[in-house]
Amino acid sequence: MRNQLIIRGCLERARFTLDLDLSIDLDEPLGIMGATGAGKTTLLRIIAGLEPDFTGSVAFCGEVWRDGMIDRVPTHQRGLGVAFQDSRLLPGRTVENNLNFATQRAPAVDSRLDYMTLVGALDLQHLLRESVDSLSGGERQRVALARALLARPRLLLLDEPLSANDSAHRQQVIAHLGDWMSAEGTPFIYVSHAAAELAQLTRQVLILDQGAVRALGKTGDLLEAGNVVSGTGPLSLAAVVVAKDHHSRTATLEFTDSDHAVGALGQGERVVVCRDVSEGSGLDASLQPESDEDQR
Amino acid sequence: MPDDMQAVWLTVLLAGVTTLLLFPIASPLAWWLARSDSKGRSLVEAVVAMPLVLPPTVLGFYLLVMLNPDSFVGGLWLNVTGESLTFSFSGLVIASVIYSLPFMVQPLHATFRAVPVPVLEAAATLGASPRDQWLNVVLPLAKRGYLTGGVLTFAHTVGEFGVVLMMGGNIPGETRVLSIAIYEHVETLNYQAAHSLALGLMCFSFLSLWLVYRYTGHRFEVVR
Repeated sequence: MRNQLIIRGCLERARFTLDLDLSIDLDEPLGIMGATGAGKTTLLRIIAGLEPDFTGSVAFCGEVWRDGMIDRVPTHQRGLGVAFQDSRLLPGRTVENNLNFATQRAPAVDSRLDYMTLVGALDLQHLLRESVDSLSGGERQRVALARALLARPRLLLLDEPLSANDSAHRQQVIAHLGDWMSAEGTPFIYVSHAAAELAQLTRQVLILDQGAVRALGKTGDLLEAGNVVSGTGPLSLAAVVVAKDHHSRTATLEFTDSDHAVGALGQGERVVVCRDVSEGSGLDASLQPESDEDQR
Repeated sequence: MPDDMQAVWLTVLLAGVTTLLLFPIASPLAWWLARSDSKGRSLVEAVVAMPLVLPPTVLGFYLLVMLNPDSFVGGLWLNVTGESLTFSFSGLVIASVIYSLPFMVQPLHATFRAVPVPVLEAAATLGASPRDQWLNVVLPLAKRGYLTGGVLTFAHTVGEFGVVLMMGGNIPGETRVLSIAIYEHVETLNYQAAHSLALGLMCFSFLSLWLVYRYTGHRFEVVR
C-alpha cells in the first residue's frame, strides 16, 4: 500500500467527462501528458481535493481522502505540495513571506532539503525581499515550486511547474528536482508537455486524451515505442505518433501541445525526424514545409 | 455648551460601538454574499441594501413597533436587562447597526469578491485550514475594505437623524446625539449653536470621505 494512489470516479466538464479507474504505485515518479484541455490539471485538482463535483473515491497510501461526494480528508490535511502552472502566490507579499507561509505550516520532518539549499538552487536568493507582484512568470513559477517543496509534502503535485522558464533554468531545476526527490523519497506527479523532461524525471507516464486514459506505462517504453515525440526546431511541441514512415524517416503526428497553436499537422507540412523513430528515446522532430528539401 | 459636548460624546460613542459591532456582523454576511451561488443571495442583498433607499422614518417606525416593551423582542429585553429598548442608548445601537449595515457590508463584499479563489486553493494545499486561510490570506487582502467600511459606517452613524429621532427621541445624555441637538437648536432659533455643530459635522464628513479616497483608493459606490 506504500504510495499507492487510487482514483475511481468521474467528473463532468463542458468539453469532456473525466472517467477514471486508476491504481498507480507512486514509488516510481509519474508523468502526465496530454493535449491542453485533456484533463491533466483537473486530475491533479481531484487528487488535491479541489474538485467538489468529482464523484468517486480517492485514496493514497491506504488512506481514503474522498468517498463519493464527501471529502474524508480535506485538502489542508492531505500533506500535499502543489506547484500550479499559474503559480498562485500570495499577492502583495514578498517572496520570503510566500516561502514562510509554507514552512510555518510544514510538518516537522527530517529533510536534507533545507530552505537555503532550495533558494539557492532555484536562483531565488536575490529575489527574497522582492514583492511577488513584480516577478516574471518564470520567477513566480520557481517560487511556487520552492513553496511546494518547503511544505514537506507526502505527495508532490507539479503542474507544468517550469513552463514559463527559459531552457537554462528548466535544465538546472530539473536536474536538481530529480536528485532531491530520489534523496527525499517523496512521491511526485509531474505534468508536462515536454517528453524530454518526463524522460528525465519520471519512470512511468500517463497519457490523457479528452478526459480518457490513453496510455499508462513505463516512461521508457512509451517514449521508445514512438508514442511520444519531443519536438525541437521552429516549433516546440509534444505529439503522439499516429503514423510513421521509416523509409523516408518521416512521421505523422497528432499534436498534443495546443499551447503553441499547432493543433494538427497542416496540409503541405511534414515532420522531419532527426533520429530514427524506431530506436532511441527522446525522439526529436522538426516541422518543415512540404516544398523544402529534406534537411537531414 | 455642556449639553452639546454631551451630544458630541454620545454621538462618537454610538458611532464607535456601531462600527465595532458591525465588523463581526457584516464580515460573514459579506463573505457569504461574495462566495455563494445560492438563489437566495439576491434576496439577502436586497434586504441588506434596504436602508439605502428606505426613508429613515419608515425604518425607525418599524423598529419602534418591533422593539417596544409590548413587543416580543422588546419585552424579552426588558425582562432580561430591566431596561426598555425604545428611547434608550441600547435601542439606538440596534437601530444604528441595522441602518448602517449596507455601509459596512458593501465595501467588504467588494473586497472579498476580489480575493482570488486560486490563491485560497493554494493556501489550502500548503496546509492552511479554512480559518487559517481567513485570518492569514483573506484578512490581509481585505484591509482596504475594512478601512473603507469602518470609516463610512462611523461617518454615516454620526450623521443619522430620522432613525435616531424615531427610536430614541431627544433625551440628553441618553439619546440626544449631534443631529438631534442641531435640530433642537434650529427649533429654538439658536442658529449660532446650530451653526457650530453643523459646521463641525460638515468638516468631519469631508475628512472621513477624503480619508477613504486618499488612503484606500476605493471607489465606493452606493446607489441611493
